[in-house]
Amino acid sequence: MSAAAAHVAPDLAREIEQFLYREARLLDTGRFEEWLELFAPDGVYWVPSRPGQTDPLAVASLFYEDRAILAMRVQRLLQHRAHVLAPIPRTTHLLGNIALMADDSASGEHGVECAFIMVEHREDRQRIYSGRCLHRLRRLDGAWRIALKRVELVDCDGVHSALTIPF
Amino acid sequence: MASITIEELRGLVKPDRVHRRVYTDPAIFALEMDRIFGRAWLYVAHESQLRNHGDFARARMGRHEVVVTRHPDGGLFALLNRCAHRGARFCMAPRGNSRSFTCPYHGWSYGPDGALEGVPYRQSYPASFRLEDPANHLARAPRVASYRGFVFASLAADGPSLREHLGSMTDAFDNLIDRAPAGEIELSDNSFQWEYRGNWKIHHENANDVFHPGFVHESSVSVAGNSPVASAAYDDGQTREMLRANGFSRREWENVELIGFDAGHSYMSGFYRAGIIAPHSDDPVRARYRAALAARCGEARAEEIILLDRFNNIIYPNLVVNAQFHQLRVVHPVAADRSIVAAHCFKLKGAPDEIFHRAVRFLNTISSPASMVFTDDVEIFARCQAGLADDADDWVDMARGLDTDRRDNDGRRTGHASELPNRSQFTAWLGYMTRAAA
Repeated sequence: MSAAAAHVAPDLAREIEQFLYREARLLDTGRFEEWLELFAPDGVYWVPSRPGQTDPLAVASLFYEDRAILAMRVQRLLQHRAHVLAPIPRTTHLLGNIALMADDSASGEHGVECAFIMVEHREDRQRIYSGRCLHRLRRLDGAWRIALKRVELVDCDGVHSALTIPF
Repeated sequence: MASITIEELRGLVKPDRVHRRVYTDPAIFALEMDRIFGRAWLYVAHESQLRNHGDFARARMGRHEVVVTRHPDGGLFALLNRCAHRGARFCMAPRGNSRSFTCPYHGWSYGPDGALEGVPYRQSYPASFRLEDPANHLARAPRVASYRGFVFASLAADGPSLREHLGSMTDAFDNLIDRAPAGEIELSDNSFQWEYRGNWKIHHENANDVFHPGFVHESSVSVAGNSPVASAAYDDGQTREMLRANGFSRREWENVELIGFDAGHSYMSGFYRAGIIAPHSDDPVRARYRAALAARCGEARAEEIILLDRFNNIIYPNLVVNAQFHQLRVVHPVAADRSIVAAHCFKLKGAPDEIFHRAVRFLNTISSPASMVFTDDVEIFARCQAGLADDADDWVDMARGLDTDRRDNDGRRTGHASELPNRSQFTAWLGYMTRAAA
């Protein structure tokens, strides 16, 4: 990941922040299809199982999904027929410490990092997840799209119960 | 704790049902830890983790935690991870290499066989203190044995040998190893750990349950069925096919063969029929793999190895091996209503990298805590546990297939559309629980 940008146009910073907030709102309000639309056609959602994991093929990940797999996951979230999703869990995604990375003008993509906390209420329990999110965003037809969302959970290699709503 | 008599235990298991207490009663759970997990051969490690002198791996054996070590003389030991002095855990790394283990509390240090090698400030201990005194050594499992690299330990000094315990289930390990073109497998550095709110036995009952997928996994079957094939190029459609495969019709599930043994082991025949995960798949990666395997053992033998279509070989009481897909699961009981499952996969030496990537993808799809399949199983485990805590009805049914199961001369039960794996598991359960103390 490149160094934090020394100078980022305030408008651009605000625009990207608003994009991340919107993404979090879509997840918290169950608008999973609109969330999926935020991904570029070749976009990837990745939640490593190891701190510092670089290889998604030889090391298993909690999630490593392209649009086709993510689309199945989203349909499953929307149908509410999965036992673990009935009733559908409720979440709050809270983002902070948002930092834009230096512009990679060659690819036309922007890297942005943030810290997050997701509180999930499922059945009779509330769970807290936290970590860092790294987005690579790309301009596509005038809108930002996610080329890669990498979620680094602080407890990525811990003992888990079911992970349901995306981070 | 009130003791539970042998007669009482016998009364809990009928040919067609079990009493709910076997899942919910903490006193029964404590007895299971003594009589099943305190006696049976438990899988603890794979030798690919223990190649060199001083290599070690931590594992659980019922209520105990052990460190499995490779001694310089080549022997394997399972040492209780508890200092003989004041009881502190001396090893916290999941695995590694160390010629000795030093307790962080007062510096007692032990060799890889658990012998006490030194204590600092020796002169302050009583004159009678002896390093050689067995009471000062780490406690260790009396028996450790390996079957072709799969390391098991038993906390009982006597009992059936590992080979006797495994019986003909050794063919599950053989098939996994045979699948490697170089004749060797390696436990990869991939694992997930799950905790679920349910009894450990529920996992095994489910692992060979042929009627639940159509119900429990209906949501992932339907989304995969509606997903366009062409869009799933990223993983050659593997995820989609794995989700879809649970969508057998009832009649198809009825044809899945089940095999069970009185030692508690069982397996089912495979049910993946399409895409790169099917046994007959001849996509380019599989073709290269098949050629590599045939180069070692010939076309006919390679075919035989690849086409052995078995799913979830349960090795009672703590292991599930899915040889065909190079997967391994270890189930660890924590309390009557709490269990931990650890899932791993193997790398086949001499196979193309993509074959390993598919094993990793399999682990992702079925065993990740975010799995679109196993999350629903685990939800059902918790619901069973919650329902069984209710004493409205004492009996749990396992009668399906009782009239149609067959018993072969060698004792194996075979059947279809059956809960025979449950009955095999409870035959073993009752045997361990009612056997006189070793």
